[in-house]
Amino acid sequence: MRGWGFPAACAAVVVAGLAFTELADNPYYFNAAYVILQALIMAVAWNILGGFTGYVNFGSAAFFAVGAYTSIALLKAAAVPLPLLILAAALVCGLIGLGVGYLTLRLKGVYFAIATLAMGIVLETLINNWSYVGGAKGTAILTPDKHLWFDSYSEMLFMVMLLLALGSVAVSRTLSSSRLGRGLAAIRDDEVAAECSGVPTLRLKLVSTTVMGAMMGAAGAPYPYFVSYVDPLSAFNLFIAVNSIAMPMIGGTAHWAGPVVGALLVGSAQEVITVTISSELNVLLVGIMLVLFITLAPQGIVGLVRKHWKKRA
Amino acid sequence: MKLVRVSIALATAAFAGLAGAAEPIKIGFSMALTGALAGAGKGALIAMEIWRDDVNKKGGLLGRQVEFVYYDDATQPAKVPPIYTKLLNVDKVDLVVSSYGTNEIVPAMPIVMRSKMVFPSLFGLAANEEFKYDRYFQIMPAGPEPKLDWSRGFFELAAQQKPKPQTVAIVAADAEFALNAAAGARENAKKMGFKIVYDKTYPPATTDFTPIVRAIQATGPDIVYVGSYPPDSVGMVKAANEVGLKAKMFGGGMVGLQFAAIQKNLGPLLNNVVNYDFWVPEPTLNFPGVKEFLAKYQEAAKGKGVDPLGHYLPPFAYAYMQILGDAVQATKSLDQAKIADYFRKNTHDTVVGKVQFGKNGEWATSRVLMVQFRDVQPDNLEQFAGPGKRVVVYPKAWKSGDPVFPYKQ
Repeated sequence: MRGWGFPAACAAVVVAGLAFTELADNPYYFNAAYVILQALIMAVAWNILGGFTGYVNFGSAAFFAVGAYTSIALLKAAAVPLPLLILAAALVCGLIGLGVGYLTLRLKGVYFAIATLAMGIVLETLINNWSYVGGAKGTAILTPDKHLWFDSYSEMLFMVMLLLALGSVAVSRTLSSSRLGRGLAAIRDDEVAAECSGVPTLRLKLVSTTVMGAMMGAAGAPYPYFVSYVDPLSAFNLFIAVNSIAMPMIGGTAHWAGPVVGALLVGSAQEVITVTISSELNVLLVGIMLVLFITLAPQGIVGLVRKHWKKRA
Repeated sequence: MKLVRVSIALATAAFAGLAGAAEPIKIGFSMALTGALAGAGKGALIAMEIWRDDVNKKGGLLGRQVEFVYYDDATQPAKVPPIYTKLLNVDKVDLVVSSYGTNEIVPAMPIVMRSKMVFPSLFGLAANEEFKYDRYFQIMPAGPEPKLDWSRGFFELAAQQKPKPQTVAIVAADAEFALNAAAGARENAKKMGFKIVYDKTYPPATTDFTPIVRAIQATGPDIVYVGSYPPDSVGMVKAANEVGLKAKMFGGGMVGLQFAAIQKNLGPLLNNVVNYDFWVPEPTLNFPGVKEFLAKYQEAAKGKGVDPLGHYLPPFAYAYMQILGDAVQATKSLDQAKIADYFRKNTHDTVVGKVQFGKNGEWATSRVLMVQFRDVQPDNLEQFAGPGKRVVVYPKAWKSGDPVFPYKQ
């Protein structure tokens, strides 16, 4: 029964999502949910390298942006359908992840973090000077008129994002509970000891950078359709990177559910605050929550809950 | 008994009427109140609130008070779609207007288009080129061909000088507006027979402009066209003075030189720079209502960290609301088709002068001014509040003085 719990829960979420598109006709909810789900995928992806493997990546926005720009490049060439855009973006960003893994395999800790930050700047400069995808001027992308059986394009994008989010959670869950995941945890705890015990550290690190890259790319692929206008400044936004670090930290990095909880909580709070108080508070909120969790509960919300359960048991 | 019934019915009707009158007209928008464009966005909001208060004092629109529903988009395009869907579907606003700047306007377009709302917009550069939405109306006076019109004045002025300058250097920041401006400048330069001897871009994060200006100086251009953003504009003007740039004309498309704080900071270094602007306190541009508006703005802006004089964006932020308000009053309805028709077919009297919309909802004719800084004294903000410091040298219709030529010997 336990083995069926997760797939059943995923199926229930899909059904609930479909029911939501049928019942709710207010596009606001779909757009807001899209933003939260996008953050969720980014957080889950970040956690594969940052949480499971212990390598802090500051370049999340770069993977996201390359995903978005892969879509744009393909759309400029031909009317490529959305699923193919997502696949292509995942492939391109997966390869970039692999490349980054190779190039930085000797770097650890803060040096790795700096390298990922630098990669973001290099990629942004590249896009800035690539006029085919709009270069520094940015480019407008019109949303297609067709949206399957959904009432609007935002409903369809919401469903696409929901499926992508479930997919990335499933991948992350499988990774964490597999042999591979235990290897990653060994790297996080002590890379030298892991290597000595026969854990193929390089191969595992490459797997996690590739999977992370691919997920972030997939999250970025539908973005041009969501905003209709993409320029490097907004696609490589530091806030995307900060959010994808903060959400797993707040939710808990050791468990696959951590980034999910963190993203749902912080993402929803941000959406609510934007329309009730102000966007300025968003940044403050993320900052304060991050400081509080790092100092008081480094294991995040999931860690707190687990501790509570252990005590009760 | 019948009389009682009739009087109850009458009273109910009157009450319903009163209740109807009390229901305000809601205007929704997102605005950059934090993030990179916050300074400008906050200034725009102050101007829009002045308009709202002015209108409400006169009894509102259609006898109803005007109320704003707005959210901060934090200068992040991704925040814009949820905000506009919320405005239209949850808050159920009666009218919408745009945020400030191309990046924040375009993400709202598909949503606004779907609900067929009139979309007055604030300083978007060719934002409607792809969408071609017929209910989009943009208030920045860049004209029907914004890219070309932006620098046309600069090159026409240069071409009128005797002896006619021959060579031109074009330098621009690697970002949206500056690249568009540079592309237009290139075209204008070629059209008017100038030889381009330097044509390069620099990364937006550049802080030291001396090497760039030296490289320009080395090619010995007669005129130098710069497309830059506020921090770089400051760097560029300072570097030109330090290096002793010997061009006959310098400036063109530098954003930031319109802001009071930067004007005060640069002081006399600005003298003789020729740059674009949209409104300056020269006698030729003294449109009805603009002085009263600026007085209110300058009072409201105190201590808010926004442009203290508010010559650049605020009058236009007031004007785009003004046209929307006039359209509602004139058509006596909130019917979007009728309002759009009114926008399209009329010439509108605003605090920034007469506005007429043409192709793609841009101004039918460009009013990009070229102004020349003159006789600027150091460390004095007040001097820019009055005429004489930014003389309009182009176009003829708004000219308030002749250009001093050359820029530096």
